[in-house]
Amino acid sequence: MSGWRAIPLLSRCLAGAFGFLLLTAPALAAPPATAHPAGTVAGLPEDKALALGERMYRQGLLPSGEPMPSVVNNDVPVAGTAFSCSSCHLRAGLGSWEGGIVTLPTNGARLAIPRYWKFPNLSPEERRELKLQNPAARPAYTDETLAHLLRTGRDPSGYDMHSVMPRYHLSDPDMAILIHYLRNLSARHSPGVVGDTLRFATVIAPGVSEDDQQAMLVPLNNYVARHNQFSAGFGNRMYLGVGGNEMSGAYRKLSLSVWRLTGAPETWEAQLDAFLAKEPAFALLGGLAPGDWKPIHAFCERAQLPCLFPITDLPVVSDTDWYTQYFSKGYYQEGQAAARYLHGLEDPKPARKVLQIIENSLEGKALAQGFRDTWAELGQAAMPEILLPEGKPLALATLADLLAREKPSTVLLWTGASAFPALTALTRGATGAFMSARLLGSQLTSLPELVRTQVWITYPYRDPKLEPKYSLYADTLLGGLMQRHPETRISTRTYALIQILRQALMDMDRHFYRDNLLDRIGMQRDQILPDYLRLSFGPGQRYASKGCFIMQVGPGPSPVLLRKSEWVIH
Amino acid sequence: MRRNPWATLLTTASLWLSGSGFLAAQAPPPYTRTLETYTVPDVVLVNQDGAKVKLKALLDSGEPVILDFIFGTCTTICPVLSAGYANLQTKLPAGPSKVHLISVSIDPENDTPKVMRDYLKRYRAKPGWDFFTGRREDIDKVMNAFNAYIPNKMSHYPLTLIRDPKTGQWIRIFGMMSSSEFVAECRKAGVL
Repeated sequence: MSGWRAIPLLSRCLAGAFGFLLLTAPALAAPPATAHPAGTVAGLPEDKALALGERMYRQGLLPSGEPMPSVVNNDVPVAGTAFSCSSCHLRAGLGSWEGGIVTLPTNGARLAIPRYWKFPNLSPEERRELKLQNPAARPAYTDETLAHLLRTGRDPSGYDMHSVMPRYHLSDPDMAILIHYLRNLSARHSPGVVGDTLRFATVIAPGVSEDDQQAMLVPLNNYVARHNQFSAGFGNRMYLGVGGNEMSGAYRKLSLSVWRLTGAPETWEAQLDAFLAKEPAFALLGGLAPGDWKPIHAFCERAQLPCLFPITDLPVVSDTDWYTQYFSKGYYQEGQAAARYLHGLEDPKPARKVLQIIENSLEGKALAQGFRDTWAELGQAAMPEILLPEGKPLALATLADLLAREKPSTVLLWTGASAFPALTALTRGATGAFMSARLLGSQLTSLPELVRTQVWITYPYRDPKLEPKYSLYADTLLGGLMQRHPETRISTRTYALIQILRQALMDMDRHFYRDNLLDRIGMQRDQILPDYLRLSFGPGQRYASKGCFIMQVGPGPSPVLLRKSEWVIH
Repeated sequence: MRRNPWATLLTTASLWLSGSGFLAAQAPPPYTRTLETYTVPDVVLVNQDGAKVKLKALLDSGEPVILDFIFGTCTTICPVLSAGYANLQTKLPAGPSKVHLISVSIDPENDTPKVMRDYLKRYRAKPGWDFFTGRREDIDKVMNAFNAYIPNKMSHYPLTLIRDPKTGQWIRIFGMMSSSEFVAECRKAGVL
């Protein structure tokens, strides 16, 4: 709901001075907010008004359920369902900078104080201490001046917002509800900001080996220690001057707690509740669980606690959930890639009939789900599936029978290396097969030579031939810290998490709201880091790596992987 | 007369900032219009229905075309450009549209056909407005061909390209247009 159009500096100063004069002028002519009894907003209980205001802000829907009407660029009508306040100001309300347009903060804390062009992040107390005399570009908003801005685009200093900011035609009660929400949006720091420390935690579920734990904890703890030590050594000089004061206001020490879960996954949410109550954390970093991440994901959604890049290949796949930012969709994404690749082939034969043979495991089911969902999304008819009995490897006779009975043109073998002896059945015909690089793990290059030209591998990482070039810096840093196990990619993923977090902490500035942390990651530019070809972001995007390669295993006893596709994304 | 050193500094800084384009980056002026000749790359893109589209054949077919670059989760510019498209569609004569509105994704990894379908639905797009995605290399070729390449999607800018069906030249509009300005530009180009 705001944005600003830059004007030459001198004019800006004049506008600022004009705004200052306006401070003493009578309130601008805006319809007065309707008076209501204490504890109510537009005749509604405050919590009800807050929920309706949130819907206006995030979904662009009026309390009546109709789209919020507005106009952009002087005469272009827009329904709130096309885009809403949160599209530009983002969920926490701290705004964005995109496409050359600055979208100003519209959260409660910032609306309640004057805005300054210079050093806008200094608190009123800091301004007093520094004896800063520069006038405010606009005074703190009253409900009346805020309503006037939302209706006309003109702020209380007389400054007109950029024409891309919608002018909202709202009734007085609807306006009161939206303003009530804005007043409460990011008005107080989130839990986990304690004194001069930003508290983080990481979750480790039972069953994670000591080596794997250390592969994540050593670099994470090292990062926290370096972050805290750096400020002690260089802080005084770096923070001299007014700009330094502004920067130092954003600095917090970091702490990292380790929340070790025990027992069955059904009990984890209660354990996490207890951890959070005892040690309120601002966000979770990384995390390890040998199986499904779902219980931890569900807890984070409920507790509105960000979880940044858990090291899991079994994430929750959702278009709408908010609080967990993953590296990728994991196994599901490999199934997706198989569907997209088959669908995109010029030759229609391999996609004629696809049979999924699924290992009875979370991994096998996630691979199959990824294929199933994507195949349907591509407008294709459902394909047959066989779920193998639990713990029983695919036998040669079983595969031969299935191939004879179903006559598939392609078989998706979502199984581990235990199925290798059965693959001979493929050589009796021309049936192509897909297998998952993740599921085969280190056994991938032991794929029987006889079937290597018939088996396509879904491969979610960068081409291994190119990886050393990208991992060199991470390897150098991590190599000094610990004995690494590169095949798990735990330490390199932790390294990537740290790089993204470092940037996010800088971008978050002193606005310590959990949603703002996620908003800032959403605004990051694409990152080229170890393991994944590209990590890309955007508001609400929760799976940073979005594609896969299709590979084949080359010939010989020490085979290389042969790339058979572009980065499969559609 | 002794000049105030702060005033000198302020003026110098102002001139430097204006000259360096710093202010311009934050403050798109009212739109600018130029006439350009572009060579459309011979690439295959994918539309919101998952169908493959030969871009060169489509754009060189002689039908009236308007093109912009957007992405599904863009915060500021794309929603407004798309509101402009949606509004233009309401002003077109009834019946099958002669003007083909095209949006090319600059975030091909995230903008799958499903994301693009949902996006068009949000803007109540009518037939005649297509959203294209594709391989990143191909998208880069398209951006380069229209002198619109940006390495980072967050730093893209508002651009609308209208193809003059008579001359094959492109009217390049940099900046945001109001509804009446958009219609006027389309009329001037002969696409309405």
